[in-house]
Amino acid sequence: MTLVEESPVHAVRKRSAAPGAGRRGRRQENLAGYLFMSPWIAGFLLLTAGPMIASLYYAFTSYNLFTPPKWVGLDNFTTMFQDPRWQKSVEVTLKYVVVATPLKLLLALGVAMLLAQRRRGQALYRAAFYLPSLIGASVSVGFVWRALFSDDAVVDRTQKIFGIDAGGWIGNPDYVLYALVALSIWQFGAPMVIFLAGLKQVPRELYEAAEMDGAGPVRRFWNITLPMLSPVLFFNVLLESIHAFQVFGSAYVVSDTRCGPADATLVYTCYLYQKGFKESQMGFASAMAWTLVVAVALVTAVLFWSQKKWVHYEEAAK
Amino acid sequence: MPENGNVERRTILRVAGASAAGLGLTATAGCGGDSDAGDGSVTLRYAWWGGEPRTLAIKKTIALFEKKYPKIRIKPEFTDYAAFWEKFQTQASGGNPPDVFQNAVGFLRKYDKRGVLMDLKTQADAGNLSLENFRNGVLANGQVDGKQLGVPVGANTMALVIDVKAFAKAGVEAKFGWTWDEYFAALQTIQDKLRIAGDTGYFTIMYLYDLYLRQHGKAFFTDTGLGFTEDDLTQWWADGYKRVKSGLVADPKKIEQVSPKSGLSAGLAASEFTWDNFSIRYEGEGESDYGLAPIPTTNGKDTGQYLGSLMLSAFSGTKHPKEAAQFIGFMVHDPEAGRIMGYDRGILATTEQYDAFKPTDPNNKGVAAYEDEVAKAGVLGKITPHPSGADVVEAAFLRIGGEIAQGRTKPADGAKALFGEAEAAFAG
Amino acid sequence: MSGTTSASASASAVARPANGRRRIGSVAWHVGALLVLAVVLYPVVWVLGASFKPSEDIVASLDLLPAKPVWTNFSGLADGISDISIGSFFGNSLMYAGLAVVGVVMSSSLTAYAFAKIRFAGRNLLFTLMIGTLLLPYHVLLIPQYVLFRHLGYIDTLVPLVAGKFLAVEAFFVFLMVQFMRGLPRELDEAAKLDGCGHLRTYWSIVLPLSRPAVITSAIFTFINAWNDFMGPLIYLNTPSKYTVSLGLMMFRDQEGISDYGSMIAMSLVALVPVVAFFMAFQRYLIDGMATSGLK
Repeated sequence: MTLVEESPVHAVRKRSAAPGAGRRGRRQENLAGYLFMSPWIAGFLLLTAGPMIASLYYAFTSYNLFTPPKWVGLDNFTTMFQDPRWQKSVEVTLKYVVVATPLKLLLALGVAMLLAQRRRGQALYRAAFYLPSLIGASVSVGFVWRALFSDDAVVDRTQKIFGIDAGGWIGNPDYVLYALVALSIWQFGAPMVIFLAGLKQVPRELYEAAEMDGAGPVRRFWNITLPMLSPVLFFNVLLESIHAFQVFGSAYVVSDTRCGPADATLVYTCYLYQKGFKESQMGFASAMAWTLVVAVALVTAVLFWSQKKWVHYEEAAK
Repeated sequence: MPENGNVERRTILRVAGASAAGLGLTATAGCGGDSDAGDGSVTLRYAWWGGEPRTLAIKKTIALFEKKYPKIRIKPEFTDYAAFWEKFQTQASGGNPPDVFQNAVGFLRKYDKRGVLMDLKTQADAGNLSLENFRNGVLANGQVDGKQLGVPVGANTMALVIDVKAFAKAGVEAKFGWTWDEYFAALQTIQDKLRIAGDTGYFTIMYLYDLYLRQHGKAFFTDTGLGFTEDDLTQWWADGYKRVKSGLVADPKKIEQVSPKSGLSAGLAASEFTWDNFSIRYEGEGESDYGLAPIPTTNGKDTGQYLGSLMLSAFSGTKHPKEAAQFIGFMVHDPEAGRIMGYDRGILATTEQYDAFKPTDPNNKGVAAYEDEVAKAGVLGKITPHPSGADVVEAAFLRIGGEIAQGRTKPADGAKALFGEAEAAFAG
Repeated sequence: MSGTTSASASASAVARPANGRRRIGSVAWHVGALLVLAVVLYPVVWVLGASFKPSEDIVASLDLLPAKPVWTNFSGLADGISDISIGSFFGNSLMYAGLAVVGVVMSSSLTAYAFAKIRFAGRNLLFTLMIGTLLLPYHVLLIPQYVLFRHLGYIDTLVPLVAGKFLAVEAFFVFLMVQFMRGLPRELDEAAKLDGCGHLRTYWSIVLPLSRPAVITSAIFTFINAWNDFMGPLIYLNTPSKYTVSLGLMMFRDQEGISDYGSMIAMSLVALVPVVAFFMAFQRYLIDGMATSGLK
């Protein structure tokens, strides 16, 4: 897959031959490229590739971190696929990804469009909306979330107005995952900032022209904002999906470290963590990790493939 | 000061693979000191978990030790319980655990199997550490297969913590030798009169089920596995779930919600089973008065109780086994150190320290009186063995018990799942 | 590049109508923004309120604000925890986060420049590999990395925590900068090249300044991540005087005794101050610095 050729904003533009083209020029370009890349290459080999290969090997072994790994072939994978807790963690994670990602991006886009307007106190608003994301998945977030979604707390009372009595979300295995989703949505600062930057890049002449053609706000959004924003949207969808698949911290603090009750917030990495670090089954945990890598890689590939259909790069829109 | 690879990884692996004690000694030979200053003094890393009061007390005892042993410096490392074991596992698997660390019974076989723990008996034989004067036989808590893998600093036992006001208001009383039937009848009275649950979820506590099994001549663990059958456990959990549904045991949804506060201190229930040295938290968290009550029995006498311990262990690959042993010896025997620590890690384990400290605050007095009473009743037995993986089984017991309480898992299925997970844990 | 040019697109929609209509629009905008803000900030207010509640009232407390505010949670911080001053935690965290920012900005922008602006053999393969590293859960790398850093003798130092930042290991930031640099008009660097600028000059004087929004976004995210990082400091730092704020917070917890949740909440609020300050200081460059539209 040639990601580089597909994703750059200017990919569609026919490139002019680089100055100094020719073999010598190419060799120089190669040299420059690798020089610029050298920190990354060193980091990749040392901190990523090595550990990655190690974990790939562990995935086919029984390994408790102390005695040398013992080769067991596909055992970890067959055990894993039959493990009801693993199945549960997949179910929980998929539910989380599918619900949390779109809602978070929707809110981020909505607020970004609001903030893109030049108003008094804009900077203050921007910072205020970003505040939740600054807090991170800290212990105090754990406290506040458990308090907000408890029986008779603000969420429960609001819900009761609409005639639903869940008795609080935190202790209820049917609801608690949505408290987690709410936390994810609440911390929408990162995609919001990226959307904002994207909105700033939309040339305003386009809007002016559209307005002269009598296009209303809705049509301006569909015909100009969305297409022009699609590369940034793509970036956000990709990153937020990957992050959602790997969610850990928020599940950990909201469930007070147990990813419960009744495994209701047992997201994939939480189970992986329990297996690897609490039960010392590093082989199993590595098998889980690589299964996740393959699954997310598939999702990523589908997204990259789909961007041809819906991501508009600058040239096409003009 | 970089903590460079002083003990080669190969050495560590070798040490880890072989019997710990002998190699632990040889590993020191010829090793240059990494953290050692030029003046011939050595530095030991000492790690523990616990809150601020414990840390401040331990730091004082360290200062005392360093004054008495000017050639040994102690580098303290401390965090809370959960973080401690995560960190410890990573450090130990990387060949880099602390030289001396706080330990608990449930981890002895696990880390012995992985070659991390030093047999302190060899150090005792060498005269670097005394294993004398331990009270009520608690020294055995640190023994596994004839090795002394930990030296107890204190002793504690399971207890029933009750909301004293609620019990009085309902007109029920907890007394020594009361039976389970009497206990549940008392909870029923509380539920009827006060409209609160009697208990916070007894059937999810592994250490309580252990006592129940011991009352029936069994125990939760044997040296190598589980000491009961799937049917036993199914029955225990089925009874428990029945009591959740009847409201005798508090709604697990509510209990979950108030965590990390206890359901007892949140006023959701009138009693909770826990270790007696944890009982200080209730006074801090809740608004009622709390007291320690006897464990219910099956035959009107035997509670099945035993003394458990926090202990100090040393790393098998430490470069300074002698100094580590001296440090541990000081920490468990020195009267002044005992006076400083008090009952923070349980009733002091050695007679020297026990005699040196007389509690003055009501909580410590209560705990001391409770353990005295239990000891006098003559119900204390030998500690249940803890095979490698006991910590994982305890977590699984709590988790599956919680699923059963929520009605998400049938007791029989839960028991089957626990046996499956236990098997994997013992093998790991 | 002037202020008016960088005014937002949607603002231009209301730029022309009469004064009165503009004011109504403005009021509606503020009302809408404040409404959303109220919901978003409710939990923050709860934390603020909780920091003035007595410690035992914090867990499972339903009230937004304390019945009787107490100052003890904050005043208690002055004494530190377990003989360690709060300032020590903050100093360590600042050092960690500061180094992390410098590392990420330097290494990621260089790498991103290569991906976006230099055509070299193997670029596509390396780019795919880099995206691939985004997919691997962090936890499985932890143990092999620990063993590595132990071999190198860097346990109990900041090196294991920041090494990855200086080596552009965090693909997210590289990816972010690549996407931005590709958005820059190609004419600019081509012109630079015709002027005889080498890649280093082009990178330093043209591409890096123009990528300021991406660079600053990365800096902010890096600062926040490092500031809130718990697992890294937990695993690698042993000496309590080297602990960061995130580790210090856990010291108020005591599973066997009385946890001081009041001080914990108070300290987590104080810990927000540097992050908020960092964000406030740089956020205006985030979007307003977007000079590309003006250069076209």
